[in-house]
Amino acid sequence: MIILEDKKIVSSKFHIENSHTLSVAKEHGTYSSIERLFTLSSEEIIAIIKESHLRGKGGGGAPAGNKWALMPLGELKPSFLAVNCDESEPGTFKDREIISKDPHLLIEGIICTCFAIKSHTAYIYVRGEYKEFSNILQSAIDEAYEAGYLGENIFNKGYKLDVIVHRGAGAYICGEKSALLESLEGKRGHPRVKPHQQECEWYFDNPTLVNNVETIASVPFIVKNGADAYKEFGTSSSPGTLLFAMSGHVNKPGVYESEFGICMMDYINHYGGGIKNGKKLKAIIPGGASTKILTADEVGLAKLDYETMKALGSSLGTGGMIVMDEDTNMVEALKNLLEFYHHESCGQCTPCREGTGWVDTIMQNLLDGVARGEDIEKILEISKTMNGQTICVFAPAVSDVIDGFITKFRSEFESYVREDLT
Amino acid sequence: MSLVTVNIDDKSYEAKENSLLIDLLILHDIKVPYFCYHESLGADGNCRMCMVEIEGKKRPQIACDTFVSDGMSIQTASEKISSVRKRILELELINHPVDCPICDQAGECKLQDYYMDFGLYDSNIDMKEKVHNKKHIALGSSVILDRERCVLCTRCVRFTSNITKSGELGVINRGDKACISTVPGMKLDNPYAMNVVDLCPVGALTSKEFRFAQRVWFLKSTPSICHGCSTGCNIFIDHNQEKYKEDKIYRIRPRKNREVNGDFICDYGRLSYKNLQENRQQELLNKSNVISYEDALLELNSKISGSKNIVILVDANLYNEDIAAISNFSQKIGAKLVCPTECYFDDSFGDDWLKSDYKCANLQAIKNYKIDSLFSSDQQIDLLINFNHPSFSKFSSKQSVEFSTHKGSSAELVLAIPAYSEYSGTTINDANIEQYSQKAITTDVATISEYLSDLSKVAL
Repeated sequence: MIILEDKKIVSSKFHIENSHTLSVAKEHGTYSSIERLFTLSSEEIIAIIKESHLRGKGGGGAPAGNKWALMPLGELKPSFLAVNCDESEPGTFKDREIISKDPHLLIEGIICTCFAIKSHTAYIYVRGEYKEFSNILQSAIDEAYEAGYLGENIFNKGYKLDVIVHRGAGAYICGEKSALLESLEGKRGHPRVKPHQQECEWYFDNPTLVNNVETIASVPFIVKNGADAYKEFGTSSSPGTLLFAMSGHVNKPGVYESEFGICMMDYINHYGGGIKNGKKLKAIIPGGASTKILTADEVGLAKLDYETMKALGSSLGTGGMIVMDEDTNMVEALKNLLEFYHHESCGQCTPCREGTGWVDTIMQNLLDGVARGEDIEKILEISKTMNGQTICVFAPAVSDVIDGFITKFRSEFESYVREDLT
Repeated sequence: MSLVTVNIDDKSYEAKENSLLIDLLILHDIKVPYFCYHESLGADGNCRMCMVEIEGKKRPQIACDTFVSDGMSIQTASEKISSVRKRILELELINHPVDCPICDQAGECKLQDYYMDFGLYDSNIDMKEKVHNKKHIALGSSVILDRERCVLCTRCVRFTSNITKSGELGVINRGDKACISTVPGMKLDNPYAMNVVDLCPVGALTSKEFRFAQRVWFLKSTPSICHGCSTGCNIFIDHNQEKYKEDKIYRIRPRKNREVNGDFICDYGRLSYKNLQENRQQELLNKSNVISYEDALLELNSKISGSKNIVILVDANLYNEDIAAISNFSQKIGAKLVCPTECYFDDSFGDDWLKSDYKCANLQAIKNYKIDSLFSSDQQIDLLINFNHPSFSKFSSKQSVEFSTHKGSSAELVLAIPAYSEYSGTTINDANIEQYSQKAITTDVATISEYLSDLSKVAL
């Protein structure tokens, strides 16, 4: 078995007792990027982030620096940062580790980011169910205000910054950046129709940057140590680290940071302690529920970076792996996921609103033994209609999930079909 | 803005650069299905029906979010697009109750139209698998919501949030359980509420007044002008004469006129048709006795010739043609012509949108003919001839004649006249736009012009 060397950027303090408090965090190096930060200009920081090739860690993997560069600096309108902590993707539970075990790292990242995009207000949009974690985050913010790290004149550098925690009401779709902003504006969380040109997001018509918690938490390291230090981790096109996570049939499920590019099986064996009860691996959903499932054979080829996963027809997503052993019933597993999507579709556009419910109904029929062979084709056809015809990527993701399960494990689905039905 | 050339289905069209593709398609009557787009409400992009194929784009695009550019090449009826539309329409319909036989929208329903144009597939879903929902929710005093029929286009929601800015409606719940609802504590009772019934492309929102009253394919739509106030909103009068019955108005709908009322009318105007057919004066009466047309003219003539001080009251709702005829007539008989306008004024009625403070349709004509709007006289009036002015009862005179649309006149001689829906004519609104109303309902009653021209023959 390959022994992996620990590479930690955001999780370096997770094991320390009381790491969520300011004194402990500070003792272990949090806020040490601030001195360098204020010697740099906005443009310089954005250039460093671009240079580091830091990629968004919320699932999309788009280069963060490019997104920052879309912010119109020096405009008359105020600009905002919205930190996306609406972590609701099944199999994904990394952001809550950051806000509960190292919230000051996130605050430090927010300070760096806001200074770079000239924003004086940051919102942290926390998933509604994360009450407990949100409380820890809030007390860290309170500590930071008291220490003068947040507020009117942060670190006595003449810069004003307010950080506001906003708890969502528990909708998965509010993790979609434009739906998040709609929700933050007090409206129903519906994704917005995408702009025709590349542009920043808008919060009450003000330029806004939306980034995932982990992305922001990676910023202090880069500001402090420079882009090259960050690029020492990972691969050339997927530099750095990610808080990969495992759930399902592994011996030690949990969140373990690792650099990009290592083999998926090595990760599972090293950190997860292998498959539970010595069973054989059947499949892995690689990056949160909404990525295409990989068979055991494909997992053998999989490396934890964006490019390899794309080449396998799936994606790295959030890096939250759902591991399934040989005894897993794929039909029931897909039904479980489809119930989730049926429940969480926001209902704005037709293909998703009606499609997610319909496929769930047909899957129920399949499990109840009242479905016919053509129903499997019907599911695939509905899934095709959901792909690429909607406002946001929710429906295309569902489509990928369905497609992956049914095409890769078709015989299991067919075994539920009742051809004698008329 | 510069003009560009766009190629649609292998034909060239000119359009303003960066204008919306869907507007161009609608303008040129190129078939494109859509639920959520509406010219007055803008694009929302939720129904996904208006898919077109654009050269150079991998996936079909929605026409309501496509801005035209020079040389753009578009296919609206390719096999790919037809199949996409059919499949999305199928999704729109899977949870629809298909209760067309009892639905008031049947006949003017976009789901029906599009199914015939783009669908025509066999149903793939069992009735018992459909998501069920409430079918009768009173959103306010005049609009009923059927949630099963709704396609969630949110036109009604956007109307209340963007147009009336009253915000009574919203979407609640998610996925296939999402539905329209009033906001807690609110009712859809704003003065323009019933426009949502016209906006609704399906049978989800129906008018309490019109529900189950008539099948729309029996209705004849006559273009007319609302007489509720001096804005002069363009309307359709929808009416039908059922066998052995009288021609009857079943509803008034807005008729698009960007210069005047856009796509909308107020509920007051919309419901004003009831007054047009209730308590109507049909007979000619002399001291409460029914008399013939000829006798009525003779009686009128003798009253005029026997009177010295004659005052004529004219209603500011009459057509220009009536007012012209009355004006001539008053000069001929040497009468004083007046139209007190105070009674039309109601500043609690007017608003800054479609409703004006003057509740009469042709005030401008009264001004144009320089008819006095104030009247006081110390002299005893010998004969008062009223042409349907509402203030008739405030005047005293030795003798009185009233040309009246409605019952209840106290005049000695009462002459029935048609309401505006029963003959044609023009009115001038408060923006000085002259507009034509067509005759919708047939009636035997003579018009004012007919009375006056026949009277001149009697007088000879």
